[in-house]
Amino acid sequence: MLAEREDQLEALLVEREVEQFLYYEAELLDNRELHEWFDHVADDINYRMPRRLMRENTANVFSERGYYFNEDYGSLKARVERFDSEYAWAERPPTRTRRYVTNVRVTRDDEALAEDELFVEANLLVYLSRGDSEKHTFFAARREDVLRRRGDTFEIADREIRLDQTVLSTDNVSIFL
Amino acid sequence: MAAGDKPSATEQALQDARDSLDEGFFPLEFFHDENLHDLEMERIFGQAWVFIGHESEIPEPGDYARRYIGDDAFIFVRDESGEVNLLFDSCRHRGAQVCRAEQGNTSHFRCPYHGWTYKNDGDAAGIPQKSKAFKNLDREEYGLAHVPRLETYEGLVFASLAEEGPSFEEWLGDFKWYFDVHMKLPEGGMEVIGEPHRWVIDANWKTIADNFNGDSYHTAWAHGSVLDLELGGEETVGHAGTGDSLDRHIHCDGHTTSMRGFEDEDVFLTYPEEVVEDLFTKEDLSDAQWTLARQALSFTGAIFPNFGFLHFGDTTDDPEKDVAPFFTIRKWRPLGPDKMELWSWGLAPKNAPEEFKERMYKMYTSNFGPTGNFEQDDVPIWKGITESANGQFASSQNLQLNYQMGFDWMSEMELDDEWLGPGFAYSENLEEGGMRLFHEQWYEMLAGNDRTDATGTPMNVQEDQ
Repeated sequence: MLAEREDQLEALLVEREVEQFLYYEAELLDNRELHEWFDHVADDINYRMPRRLMRENTANVFSERGYYFNEDYGSLKARVERFDSEYAWAERPPTRTRRYVTNVRVTRDDEALAEDELFVEANLLVYLSRGDSEKHTFFAARREDVLRRRGDTFEIADREIRLDQTVLSTDNVSIFL
Repeated sequence: MAAGDKPSATEQALQDARDSLDEGFFPLEFFHDENLHDLEMERIFGQAWVFIGHESEIPEPGDYARRYIGDDAFIFVRDESGEVNLLFDSCRHRGAQVCRAEQGNTSHFRCPYHGWTYKNDGDAAGIPQKSKAFKNLDREEYGLAHVPRLETYEGLVFASLAEEGPSFEEWLGDFKWYFDVHMKLPEGGMEVIGEPHRWVIDANWKTIADNFNGDSYHTAWAHGSVLDLELGGEETVGHAGTGDSLDRHIHCDGHTTSMRGFEDEDVFLTYPEEVVEDLFTKEDLSDAQWTLARQALSFTGAIFPNFGFLHFGDTTDDPEKDVAPFFTIRKWRPLGPDKMELWSWGLAPKNAPEEFKERMYKMYTSNFGPTGNFEQDDVPIWKGITESANGQFASSQNLQLNYQMGFDWMSEMELDDEWLGPGFAYSENLEEGGMRLFHEQWYEMLAGNDRTDATGTPMNVQEDQ
C-alpha cells in the first residue's frame, strides 16, 4: 500500500517537474530568447511538424511525406540563428506571442525510452499578434515530446507538433512551437 | 464598354494606368480595389488557364482533391477508367456541396441534403425515389457539371472556366520551351511530394505576381538573412547586377523566367552527379534546352496569371551541410482585394532515389512555403504594399509605383542577340520588364481585349533594335 502511494507521489513530482519545464520553455519562446531556448535542444533532436490532412471519415491524420518542419540539430540551429540577422523581416518587430500549455500527460515506462527519458504529450495554444495592428490569430496543436533529463532540467530530444490547422491563417511560421 | 456610354470611373482609371505603364508607372491604389477585384474575377479568372494540380496527386482511380478557381470549388478526381476530371462541387438538385474533404478516395460522391449520388466521373448514379419523385427526369442530363476546358501538360493540370478562347497550348505559347526544361529533364518527369501547403494572407495577389515575374532586385535585400547565414550562395542570393554569373531575364509570350547560371559550365542546378548521370536525359529536349539546363544555377518564373515556380540549386538548410536543389510550383488564389490563399507544392524527379527526393522536399520547406527561410520574409512585405494601397492617400495623391528599371533610358540593358531560346532575353537581371508585361496583360484582359495584344514587343527595347 505504502509503496504504491510512494509511486503515485513520485509520478506527481515528475509531472510537476515536466510542467514547470514546459512553462519555462514557453516563457523563453514568448520572450523570444531563442538562444536560451536552443540551449535546451538535444544535439540528436528531431523536430517535426507534419502536414495535417483533412479526410472524410478520419480524424487526426497526418501526411506521410508532407510537413512544415523536419529539422535536425543543424537545420534548427540555422533557423534560430537566422533571426539574429537584421534582414529577417518576418520577426522585425517580433511577433507578440503567448503560449498556453495544458493537458499534460507524462509516460515513464515506455520501452522506446531510455532510462533518463520521458514521453510528454501536451496541448499548445499560441496567440499571435503582429505589427502595428489589433489583428491576431492562433496556432493550436498537440505536442508529443521526448524530454531527457539533464542535471536539474530537461532537454528536448524529440518533438512532433501536430498542428490542428490544414490551411494556415498566418503570413508564415516564423516562430517555434 | 457599350457604344455611346461614357467610360466608368474604373474604366477611365484603367485606361490612364495603361498609358502610364508605357512610362513605367503603375498606380499603388490598384493593389487594393474592390471594383478591380470583381473585374479580375470575371475577366481574368473567368477566362484564363488556371493551375489545378499535378496528376501525381491523384494517382489511383477514385483519388480526389478539392481545388479552386477563384471563388469556385471543384473536385479534381481520377475516375474508374483512369481519366482526370474537374467537377463543379454542387449538387444539381439544390446546389449543396457533395465533397467535404480536402482529399481522399471514393467511387461516388453523395449529396448530404437529399441523397443524390454521383459517380467519380460526375455522372448521376442515384436519385432517391426517382420513379415516384422525378419519373421524367433524364439522369444523363443531371451529372455534376464539368469545367468547360481541362488540359494536362507533363502531369500539370490546368483548367479554364471559359467555353471558348485560346487553347492551353496557345496560352503557354513558346514558354513551353522553358517549362519543358524543368519537367522533362529527368527521365520519367517530376512528381509532387506530399500535399500542398496552403495559407491565407492579407495581401493582394498582384504583389506576388510582381515578385515572380522577375524581381531579381529584391533577393539580396528581402532575403539578406539567408545570405548572412550562408544558407544560399552569393551567386544565387546575392545582389542583382553583380558578379560573373550568366544572369538573364526572359519574357516569352506573356510569361517570364529569370535565371542565374554559369556559361559553359556543368551546373545542372547543383543536382548531384549521380542524378545527372543516371536520370537526366536529352531525349525530350533540344540541344539548346540541354545547354540551358546544364548552365543553370536557378530559375524563377511565372505563367500568367497566377502560377509561379522556383527551381533552385545551391541552397541548404544548414551551413554545415552540402547544398542541394529544390523545385516548387505554386498558385496564388485571390480571395478579395486584400486577401489571397497561397498554394505551394514541392516536387522532385519521379525516378530519383527516395532519399534524394526527401532531401529535395526538405530543401523546399527550408527555403519556401510558410516555414521557408526565404518565404517567411516575403509575405509581410506584400501585406504592407496592400495596406498602403488601401486608404485615401494612394488614390488622392495618385501615387505611382516605379517600374522603370530596364528602360533603355534608365538602365544599362541590352537584348542578348545570341540567346539560345525563344522570346526575349535581357543581358542583365536589373530589369522590371516582366512585371510591366504582367500588368499590361492584366490591363488587356480587364479591358476585354485579347491578352496577346500585350505581348508583341519587349517594351524596354528601342524600336530600331
